[in-house]
Amino acid sequence: MSNGLTNGDGDLLRSSSRGDEAAFLVFYRRHQARVYRFALQMSGQPEIAEEVTQDVFMVVMGSSQKYDPKRGSITAYLYGVARNFVLRRLEQERCYLTALDDPESEFADIAADDHDTLRDLTRNERIESLRKAVLALPPAYREVVVLCDLLELDYAEAATALDCAIGTVRSRLHRARALLTEKMRAEERCAV
Amino acid sequence: MNDNELKLLEGLRCLAADGPREAPASVEHRLVGELRRRSRVRRRNRWLGLGAFGAIAATLAVTLWIRTAPVDQKPTLARSQAPIAVKAAEPQPPAAVAPAYERGAEVAINFYPLPDADELPPIESATIVRVQLPMSSLRLMGLPVTEDRAAEFIQADMLLGQDGLARGVHFVR
Repeated sequence: MSNGLTNGDGDLLRSSSRGDEAAFLVFYRRHQARVYRFALQMSGQPEIAEEVTQDVFMVVMGSSQKYDPKRGSITAYLYGVARNFVLRRLEQERCYLTALDDPESEFADIAADDHDTLRDLTRNERIESLRKAVLALPPAYREVVVLCDLLELDYAEAATALDCAIGTVRSRLHRARALLTEKMRAEERCAV
Repeated sequence: MNDNELKLLEGLRCLAADGPREAPASVEHRLVGELRRRSRVRRRNRWLGLGAFGAIAATLAVTLWIRTAPVDQKPTLARSQAPIAVKAAEPQPPAAVAPAYERGAEVAINFYPLPDADELPPIESATIVRVQLPMSSLRLMGLPVTEDRAAEFIQADMLLGQDGLARGVHFVR
């Protein structure tokens, strides 16, 4: 697990909260992709991902004192803030399964737009199928898959972001993978 | 790790690499706009805060000045022969308490400095004593007194300093 702040993140945070635009932009550009991808993979909806990214960095520009380096890395902190916003948004909109039922999903559009070959189609279908399976997981399992398998955080950082024990992350991840494997096998059986 | 798990991990790797990787530029534009707005608000609040602090400080200063600036009530003697105006409780007559004294009212008394009084130390605390003086003592003040009345007595208030020495006199009648 990386310690607290890296490469001047602490200075950037403090300057950002004082209104330093240049510092804020450096910090934003350094971390926005992680936050956006986490929100997108958790929600399956680009609109929510945009709003969550915006909300997370609003928090950052509001006060640097909310982040305690002793509790974990800045990345874990940002994921933790993003997670709270995502879950709140999903709770508000009650749309956990919307993306699964939406044939016009942006990911489906992206997949269909760019690839023509049968092989790529099959591959994209598999990815899309897996994406839907991930989005269908209960939030507690989904977030460990997103953090550990998709965003490649280590268990300790994921535990910090999720505010739980490392053992909990391991067990949830194990269970989530089992659910995904089962889901994918079931789909393969249906396809055959 | 069995084949299904390996396939799953491979699929997850593909999923991780798929899709948009960054937030749209519009998010950055909105955030920068918000940051500028907050900076403006912060600057405005800072000036408002400074203004409020200045107003409070000025009010406190004026209040303190009003409380501490009133005319020094310690009687003082002028070095000239001009009468001195002193605010003091009217001294108690020997027989009865005067109405003004009962009410605790202040009256202005003009004291004539006594000869050589200006050579005494400045008055820090004063006492006013009502006495009877011979009319002839008015001559010390440079006032004319006829011989036929020189033996009469006149009521006067003596202004005594903290050392008990008389600094001034006020003739009552």
